[in-house]
Amino acid sequence: MPSIIVAILLFVGLGAIFAIGFYLNQKTPKPEGCENLLADCEGCRLATCPHHPHHKEGEKENA
Amino acid sequence: MELLSMALAAILINNVVLTQFLGICPFLGVSKSAKSAVGMGLAVIFVIFGASLLTFALYKLVLVPFGIEYMQLISFILVIAAFVQFTEMFIKKYSASLYKSLGIYLPLITTNCVVLFVAQDNITQNYNLIETIVNSISVPAGFMLVLVLFSCLRERLDSADTTSSWKGNPVALVVAALMALAFSGLAGIV
Repeated sequence: MPSIIVAILLFVGLGAIFAIGFYLNQKTPKPEGCENLLADCEGCRLATCPHHPHHKEGEKENA
Repeated sequence: MELLSMALAAILINNVVLTQFLGICPFLGVSKSAKSAVGMGLAVIFVIFGASLLTFALYKLVLVPFGIEYMQLISFILVIAAFVQFTEMFIKKYSASLYKSLGIYLPLITTNCVVLFVAQDNITQNYNLIETIVNSISVPAGFMLVLVLFSCLRERLDSADTTSSWKGNPVALVVAALMALAFSGLAGIV
């Protein structure tokens, strides 16, 4: 089998595994008492991280 | 003996945070309290160990035999991201107490560059399986050691009398630099 085909299959396969894992993880309910857990994180420069404090500020403004 | 010196070097001398400046995001973000630092450290050890074994197997069993080593970076990123998702799901389902202490830190680890560094380092250094296992435990152990030490220092810094412009990250970075200097003094032990 040509190596380029293997590379494409590998990429698609790993991407699919990640997508399935992400979907199943989102569907799995959190254990009791853990619904509103918040990371004790002050935040770094990675503003896209879901734990970044600026998301919490945005939620407060929307509420 | 060689494995022991390799582990000691990874923990104390070539510490990823203090010498390579990797994992600075959780180092500054999750070092506010010692409790969260321990939780983050344990989660990092578990994820790096698991992800390194998976990426090692992927490289040796798929990438090398098919001659597609150029896929190393993208495939390692996908393996790490998928591993974190499945680990979080497993912990959510089977251990509420573990999820309470570690679960919140798992999504943060996906963006921790130390995980990718260890996976890549095992390949570029041409480690065998035993060396990979030792490296995959000792590097995150060094990360956890520095994170916990730094969190203890930051708890003290909060009550220290510093000027307002120095409070928070500025003084924390100065302390981190002093820690790096202190750790560089251990260079001769191995």
